[in-house]
Amino acid sequence: MGDIVRNKIDFKNFLLFDGAMGTMLQKYGIQRGELPESYNIKHPEIIEKIHSEYLNAGSDVITTNTFGANRYKLKNTEYTVEQIVSNAVSIARGVAGDKLVALDIGPIGQLMEPLGILSFENAYETFAEQIKIGTREGADIILIETMSDIYEAKAAILAAKENSSLPVICTMSYQGDGRTLTGTDPITMVNVLQGLGVDAIGVNCSLGPNEMLPIITEILKYSSIPVIVQPNAGLPRLCGYDAVYDVHAHEFAEYAKIMAEMGVTILGGCCGTTNEHIKAIKNVLNELEPVIRDVKRMTAVSSPSFTVVLGGEIKIIGERINPTGKKKLKEALKNNNMDYILYEAINQRDAGADILDVNVGLPEIDELEVMKKTIKELQSVVNLPLQIDSVRCDVIDAATRIYNGKPLINSVNGKDETMDSIFPIVKKYGACVIGLTIDEDGIPQTAEGRLKVAKKIVDRAAKYGIDKSDIIIDCLVLTASAQQSEVMETIKAVELVKTTLGVKTTLGVSNVSFGLPQRELLNRTFLAAALTVGLDAPILNPLSEAMMSTVNAFNVLWNKDISSKKYIKTYSSFVGIEKPITIDSAETKDLNRIIIDGMKEEAAKVTVELLKTKTEMEVVNTYLIPSLDIVGQKYESGEIFLPQLLQSAETVKKSFQVIKEKMMASTEKKISKGTIVLATVRGDIHDIGKNIVKILLENYGFDVIDLGKDVHEDVVVNAVRNGNIKLVGLSALMTTTVRSMGETIKALRDNNLDCTVVVGGAVLNEEYAKMIGADFYAKDATQTVKIARKLFDCE
Amino acid sequence: MKIDKKEVLRYLGYKNQKIDEKMMNLVDECCTEIIDLCKETFVYEVFDIERKNDLIFLIGSTLVLKDKDIKDLLINSKKCVVMAATLGSGVDSKIAYYSRFNITKGLIMDACATTAIEYLCDEVQNEIMENALKDNLFITTRYSPGYGDFSIDNQAEILNVLETYKKIGLSVTESNIMLPRKSVTALIGLSEIRSPKQNKSCGSCKNINCNFRKDGGYCAK
Repeated sequence: MGDIVRNKIDFKNFLLFDGAMGTMLQKYGIQRGELPESYNIKHPEIIEKIHSEYLNAGSDVITTNTFGANRYKLKNTEYTVEQIVSNAVSIARGVAGDKLVALDIGPIGQLMEPLGILSFENAYETFAEQIKIGTREGADIILIETMSDIYEAKAAILAAKENSSLPVICTMSYQGDGRTLTGTDPITMVNVLQGLGVDAIGVNCSLGPNEMLPIITEILKYSSIPVIVQPNAGLPRLCGYDAVYDVHAHEFAEYAKIMAEMGVTILGGCCGTTNEHIKAIKNVLNELEPVIRDVKRMTAVSSPSFTVVLGGEIKIIGERINPTGKKKLKEALKNNNMDYILYEAINQRDAGADILDVNVGLPEIDELEVMKKTIKELQSVVNLPLQIDSVRCDVIDAATRIYNGKPLINSVNGKDETMDSIFPIVKKYGACVIGLTIDEDGIPQTAEGRLKVAKKIVDRAAKYGIDKSDIIIDCLVLTASAQQSEVMETIKAVELVKTTLGVKTTLGVSNVSFGLPQRELLNRTFLAAALTVGLDAPILNPLSEAMMSTVNAFNVLWNKDISSKKYIKTYSSFVGIEKPITIDSAETKDLNRIIIDGMKEEAAKVTVELLKTKTEMEVVNTYLIPSLDIVGQKYESGEIFLPQLLQSAETVKKSFQVIKEKMMASTEKKISKGTIVLATVRGDIHDIGKNIVKILLENYGFDVIDLGKDVHEDVVVNAVRNGNIKLVGLSALMTTTVRSMGETIKALRDNNLDCTVVVGGAVLNEEYAKMIGADFYAKDATQTVKIARKLFDCE
Repeated sequence: MKIDKKEVLRYLGYKNQKIDEKMMNLVDECCTEIIDLCKETFVYEVFDIERKNDLIFLIGSTLVLKDKDIKDLLINSKKCVVMAATLGSGVDSKIAYYSRFNITKGLIMDACATTAIEYLCDEVQNEIMENALKDNLFITTRYSPGYGDFSIDNQAEILNVLETYKKIGLSVTESNIMLPRKSVTALIGLSEIRSPKQNKSCGSCKNINCNFRKDGGYCAK
């Protein structure tokens, strides 16, 4: 059924949607808080009437009454998704005649991870359920609307694409500051959603037509697909005790005219609009012709709220999250030490990287799972676009799917097999991809040879429907020590590829110096040469001052850093060499004093000094632990308050890092006093308290496996079983989540795991803890430490 | 947005301990950072009250109030304001970031945000009060789910009635945790009689383990 009607949709012409459903329902007496979708069952005649009113007003498309028809919102009602959606579509279908029916999909109403607890996979399943039913029942279009979170929009679009062949339209809602509630700006929305292959994108709800104009301008600038706009009838204004929308039909249609003249082709209304508004727009559109827009595609990658466009200033791809040749990163990956990886990301960001390469390929780990976890964690901490780097196609596929935004894939090359496995992923998820100029015959020696491979890549991509703007060619850097005569060929190739194919380029610059002394000197000289012929995005170590300064200088000299703003900002207070460390603080202050006073900046260097004359264990036992004890006592007696205790704890942590590194470098001596599992229980997301406990336990030499927040009992059980854990700390802050704390303890007991459980959190007390089966109640973090020390016999 | 540093310190459990300048600067820095991150929004609606079978109905909505403490609050009221306010999720992600990489700052930022959301609610309450006075109505105190015996299970329905997810991006989980975290919902009665000075201490509150109570203080201002 869908197939027959679908042929009629003509995105080249104007398409007029309907106005608000909710506003009309209010007119017909719906109460605030009443489920609008219930009217599909209770009062189908009212829904039918509303659809008819819009059709009579001139709507080409009517939208089903299914905005909130998802399993989360319907959970505590008497209705199923099946009932609501199938009734809604059949009511609309019944009155639509030869007009179109759009299956309405609104946001789920839950915040997604990491801010909330709705996972990408659950969001996908929720949308897929609605979409399968709506498609089956005969909808013509899928309208994903009022999205604030671009990650949720991605889940919905994938669910639509994978469970239906209907056209998909997606709109997001913007705030007055030009971003959605979760921070997405128009350029990012277009870059990500257009990549996912929707048929039209745009903006709806939240704002009135006037406030939307600047956002629409931005969207039209970047979107090469049709643009849809469905504004509210103005901003709600308080009138007595009621909020009213007061942009009336005639004025609304005036704005519709302006929008159509700007290039918008799909129009409709949101909150506050009625059939009167639609009728007025219809009259306006009758007098107009759609504007034909010619939008040049850009090469850009995005995080959820930040887009990096290649082609202007040089963009830096940070190379440090890659275990090749990095012992500490390898250790971190093996030990699941996510913090280390996150610090690498933060440091590169702070040093000026624009995009971060992420490679977690180690034979001894489950690369696919670690990659997914790393991507999620990185995206919760650093707001830069990521470059997904793996030799495994399945890893690239899985990571690209769950990535929030538009990623860069590293990489494809000229081999048939690689192209045919990577390009479908690039197309499906709308990614950018790096194309290496190497094929079955190896790396061509000449620039012309590399151009040939690059062309093969671009041509094959086109066959998959991938525009060349989504391809970044890497002409490959050879090492001067082994293939000196070919180093220049790379430079020539960059120029040739850029001018002939018109694609953007990247290079892994530091390869050039491999095996030679003073590598940075060669690297930066080569970099400068490559930049002059048009290298757009070098892959390099952003922590290297030599490399970064070369890029900064180039951006000034090539008129890319306009008015030298960034350069001046970076270097106006530059003093050349680092200020010498003031000796007095480093040598005269002893570590005990530093810890007690919480001077965390000084801890590391004093520890380094101490380790010259003392063993690691001596430092731990004569400085760290005694000082911590003193701080703990001061806290308990009320002499210091919590932030001061934490300053000291963080100071010890810095000292500990130095000690651990030294131990890792020397022998395999163990400092661990025992391993403890910590978790904020399922349903709860308060984790500051748990994090405080964690740092204090680590201070005292315990290894902590931090399972995070909203942790399902199975995850706790598995962690305890696999690690043969003797002490588990659980945290919950709500009366509602103490229940899942009890269930977690029960699961541990049911699985016959011989572990002690200590619980904490604001609503708990001794009695309550006993009731849910815990062994100990800890009123604060220092109490937990005491329990742990006793249990592991450290006192 | 304003953040009262004294309030921040109070949330942090400060009791006149000696604090060095560095710590004070850190608190100042956190206040400024939270103010920059806040995208404060709110929504409220006013409903007429109908009393039937020992229940309070908010006319034109699905809200029905049955808990004793909230009925006591509205005892003289003829209208009830239902409000929700939030600082937005930017605050949450920054606090989460610091609580992982700089726990001291994370904790202080959290306290700053708690102070900020209370300030926002006070502002909204003032607006409601001024509007009510025009109609010769007085406001009661602000009362939130979770206070006294006013069940936290009312949270979801309040958000539903106000359509907060659509309007201000405020949601609630199955465990009744509001997201963004720094958010408040509350009811305020509108009455023709000026309410007696409400007892702001903890007598009627069920949160018997509250740290403020242990110290003989109270959680509201």
